[in-house]
Amino acid sequence: MISAQSITKRFGNFVAVDSVSFEVAPGEILGFIGPNGAGKTTTMRMLTGFLPASEGRAVVAGHDVFDEPMKVRRKVGYLPEKPPLYNDLTIGAYLDFVAEIRGIDRSKRVRRVGEVMDQVGLIGWEHRILGSLSKGYRQRVGLAQAVIHDPQVLILDEPTSGLDPGQVAGIRAYIRGLAADRTVILSTHILPEVERLCERVVVIADGKVAADESIHSLKNRVGAGVRFRVELKPSEADQGRVPQIVGALPGVDQVRPHDEVDGFAILDVRAAEDPRTAIARVATERGWTVRAMERHDPSLEEAFLAVIGQE
Amino acid sequence: MNVAWAIFKKELRIYFVSPLAYVFLGVFLCLAGVFFYMGVVQTGEASLRVMLGNLSVTLLFLLPMLTMGHFAEERRAGTFEFMMTAPVPLWALLAGKWGASFALCLMLLAGTALFPGILAYYGDPDWGVVFTSYLGLLFCCGAFVAAGLFTSSLTDEPVAAGLGGVIVLLPFWISGTAAEMVDWEQGREILRHLSFLTHLEPFTRGVVDSAHVLWFVLFTFLFLFLTWRSVESRRWR
Repeated sequence: MISAQSITKRFGNFVAVDSVSFEVAPGEILGFIGPNGAGKTTTMRMLTGFLPASEGRAVVAGHDVFDEPMKVRRKVGYLPEKPPLYNDLTIGAYLDFVAEIRGIDRSKRVRRVGEVMDQVGLIGWEHRILGSLSKGYRQRVGLAQAVIHDPQVLILDEPTSGLDPGQVAGIRAYIRGLAADRTVILSTHILPEVERLCERVVVIADGKVAADESIHSLKNRVGAGVRFRVELKPSEADQGRVPQIVGALPGVDQVRPHDEVDGFAILDVRAAEDPRTAIARVATERGWTVRAMERHDPSLEEAFLAVIGQE
Repeated sequence: MNVAWAIFKKELRIYFVSPLAYVFLGVFLCLAGVFFYMGVVQTGEASLRVMLGNLSVTLLFLLPMLTMGHFAEERRAGTFEFMMTAPVPLWALLAGKWGASFALCLMLLAGTALFPGILAYYGDPDWGVVFTSYLGLLFCCGAFVAAGLFTSSLTDEPVAAGLGGVIVLLPFWISGTAAEMVDWEQGREILRHLSFLTHLEPFTRGVVDSAHVLWFVLFTFLFLFLTWRSVESRRWR
């Protein structure tokens, strides 16, 4: 449904996006993540046809973005980073204008605007002036604008930025509902959001694709084995020797002291298999106090940092 | 066509929900009143020539302020990105925007209809001349709006766009005066033809000459074309 084929964008000598390729299948929500300035927004702009690519081509909804821009524009809904609102207009007038531009007949327009306002939670707000809205509401109007023509492809640049937690949950549920029969690219830096909504992510760093895989496999990139968080208070005699002693246990690959709180050493233990029984045994033998031992799955955040090389 | 119409309505709506249109109408009508009084008192004629001549220069300064927001503000607000990713052909965008500003000009001029009315009450104006004078002024409006659109497409700063519009238009006003200071015959002719006053003057005498109409039409299309190129090229950078 969306296919980026080695798209490159240069601004003068600066290469903002460097030969980026990826595909998004129908019905998929692709998470598009990367640090600030990595080229996310530029890539989105090339996919929507706002910026022409310096090299490569992009095919969206069956049409080449460069050769058939109008056909692509009709089928794509786009929420830019900054919601594109006319501050002097009311929400109702604005959405009516967007619907008209999108070619929705006058007879259907009122109903459609009402529907969309209902879906994003703007009922009763049609007479509010856009310039007076808070960030969260601007974001919702931006989303309403992107979906009003029921597009096959949705490109959303940070759709939940500026929303409060209650609103975020609502908008996420809404986006998930939308994705059922559509293709969605979701650019964001809120990683839990990606985890909730997407199966697959493309990580972009320094204008290049650093990873393109399922969230599950991305997390496994952090390192082999299982990780545990262990909190131990050693006996007087073993003060300061805890990492060595735990590290010497069979199956333990790596021990990293994380912190020390109330005399408890907090360790990150990486092991091929569950070392908790062994640690408990050593602790009993040596008279240590055990406060916590828990399995610690790698988070997307860690995986993300590992992939972009900023661990 | 529908898209151009939608943009036209949107632009007009923006003019009238903000104080801009009303301030314009107010300022313009005040000045028109002053010019009307001056014209009638000075010449003692039942004629609008002085008023309309002065109004054309007023429009040269005012209209860029009316058009300055068209592209500059859209770019600042991020709506330009929306326009360029919605199914809006560039010609429709230009037509809608030019049309909306031109329609507001029509309203401004309609407001001054009071003055021919006064003339008709107290005297006997030549209606043919009144009509052609207004026609000439409308051609001016179209040309100035196009130039204002062009400077608005050059920058993200509405104020810079407005001042830029005045700066672009100024030579087409003062070249007429400048022409009289030039000794060289051909140079004088060229400068004279550059001035919009040269082309407006026949209208105020009741003469509609196709050559002068063509000058205004070409002027308008030249700047609309430049706007087109400028909007296109800014996406490539």
